[in-house]
Amino acid sequence: MEKHKVLIANRGEIAMRITRACQKLDLDFVCVYTAEDAHSGHVALARELGGDIYRVSSYHDANELMAVADASEATAVHPGYGFFAEDFRLSRRVTQRERGMIFIGPSWRVIRELGDKINTKRLARSLGVPTVPGSDKPIYDEMEAEHVAQSLYEFQLSSGIAQPTIMVKASAGGGGMGIEEVQDIAMFRSVYRRIRNYALRNFKDEGVLIEQRIRDFNHLEVQIVSDRSGKNPVHFGTRNCSIQSTGHQKRVEVAPGFAPDEISYAFDAAGVLSEITEHSLALARKVRYDNVGTWEWIVTRDGRPFLMEVNTRIQVENGVSGIIASIGDREGIDIIAEQIRVGLGEPLGYSQEDISLDGVGIEYRIIAEDPAAGFTPWVGRIEKFSWKQENWLEMYTQVPTDKPYDIPTEFDPNLALGIVWGRNMEEARARGAAFLNSLVLEGSDSSGNPLKSNISFLRAKTDEILRF
Amino acid sequence: MLDISKLLEEIKQTPFDEVEIISPWCGRVSCADINEDDPVSGPCGSWLEIPGTLLASVEREHNPKPVRAPEKGRIKLIRKELEGQFIEAGTPLVTLKHFLTKQEVIQIILRQALHLFNAPERAKYYFVPEVDMKIRTAGHRSVRVNDGMDLFIMSRMKREVTLPYSGPEGLIYSVYFSHNENVGAGDPLIGVCPEELMPIVEDVVARVQAEWEEQD
Repeated sequence: MEKHKVLIANRGEIAMRITRACQKLDLDFVCVYTAEDAHSGHVALARELGGDIYRVSSYHDANELMAVADASEATAVHPGYGFFAEDFRLSRRVTQRERGMIFIGPSWRVIRELGDKINTKRLARSLGVPTVPGSDKPIYDEMEAEHVAQSLYEFQLSSGIAQPTIMVKASAGGGGMGIEEVQDIAMFRSVYRRIRNYALRNFKDEGVLIEQRIRDFNHLEVQIVSDRSGKNPVHFGTRNCSIQSTGHQKRVEVAPGFAPDEISYAFDAAGVLSEITEHSLALARKVRYDNVGTWEWIVTRDGRPFLMEVNTRIQVENGVSGIIASIGDREGIDIIAEQIRVGLGEPLGYSQEDISLDGVGIEYRIIAEDPAAGFTPWVGRIEKFSWKQENWLEMYTQVPTDKPYDIPTEFDPNLALGIVWGRNMEEARARGAAFLNSLVLEGSDSSGNPLKSNISFLRAKTDEILRF
Repeated sequence: MLDISKLLEEIKQTPFDEVEIISPWCGRVSCADINEDDPVSGPCGSWLEIPGTLLASVEREHNPKPVRAPEKGRIKLIRKELEGQFIEAGTPLVTLKHFLTKQEVIQIILRQALHLFNAPERAKYYFVPEVDMKIRTAGHRSVRVNDGMDLFIMSRMKREVTLPYSGPEGLIYSVYFSHNENVGAGDPLIGVCPEELMPIVEDVVARVQAEWEEQD
């Protein structure tokens, strides 16, 4: 493979996984950090592995990133997830600027086409792929918003839904941020205004989407990988991300998406997994998708799937698909390394027939938050963090284990990802519980109150995994 | 009881601040034509439309971005050795010796008198939209607060919650936080002036206006 230097335009555990993938592929790398992240593990790892390190004003400032790229002579940019990962303007800028570089993600045209959930919805509808009823463009006008909400409300009533519910989403949001539901239509205006103001503050765009809230569903995903030709996308199976916080944020992800061999479902679960995989691949082929991406689905209790959106980036939970995957006799696939390899122009080098999926993977997101108080983030200092190493466990964290760590308040309070593998559901659950029981996580806030985390929530939810 | 004379005397012992000017961005530095002990000015004019003295330029992507003096004062230290180098965000460029203005002295003294409402956590704070609207149109001293009133939005770790004010009823006399900037746990957000404190506040303002001599 051609020699490259990759600017890792992200932070925390994803920056660390990208750093390790670069090391694996024998690529040079550049790490950036902000003042708040000076003690993050991603900086320490870059230092340990001899990468270039630069302090920037913000991970959101593209000019900073480009300046660092030039100063360090980087030849490629990996955006990670969040920040610029789904920003087609940055992708275009990276590739078309005076000193062009490779953007390790889909081409900017693909990001523009699929990265916007509204365009995706339109495109999916044109291909006959089922999508959630609701607006297919961002709404900026309050009267129009009320009109759409009223129509959806009446539609649900006429469909026999006793408690119609509407979702109000920040159009530019993602990752479950900026979403509220409305059950009482009289409350719609105040929720709409709140989301619009939140969206403006956080995403600099006050556009809002209004959709029918589909209740009682599972949240599934299909992991797609494709090379720059865009002609031969493959999938790395499905994931189930239904265990979430009250704010619709993922907390546990499982691969595969259902376990019809071990759990009984009221519908043809294997058929649904096959259907959403085929729909996802069809859409990928249609747009000549050319990197990694995730197709997000909801599946209702009666087994009806609806495409929600396509995330044109690597996702937090990619590792849970990687841990159950093999390519030929190569076990445990690093999807981030695959992303970088094909992103830099290497051909995929294998086909769907070469990929096999074995066992069950569970990913736990370990977060400083209080599930009993609406998953409120906890702010303070971590004093102790440890776990028992196992050959069936992968742990990713930016939190140092050898010294105290103040959790920065500028970002999500995610502390670590623990990914376990088992030969079947029963073994994966047992190993998941053993992992959570081995965790030591202690700390205190500025008033001396003890650290709050979601570990007990994760433990309780382990028994519910993949049960509809 | 607030001893204004004593506080004024204390401030007169060290009537200046040292302000470290850092580069807000990464980029290649060009120092301005200034030297140590030169006087500099901060933004001025009726609408602060006249920018402060140019201290340096930091060039990113062929765009030179000016770094200017935020306050009036004198150059204490300038890092000319950085000329032409690529620097990281946060690199110190200049240290200014800034003599306190009357308004700054008033604010220092009033911190001892006003009821301070402090940030419970390190976070970014915003006034709730209704209060924000009133402040934009009529200024913060037009806002009367009372115990339990929803006053702030506290934003940290991408989550927002409403934070009610607790304390005596009064007018917001001082605001200590800026838009989109973090406030540390325990740092003051606002200073509230209850009705009975108004004579003291007026006394502080009058005394400082009469007794404090501003220096260059």
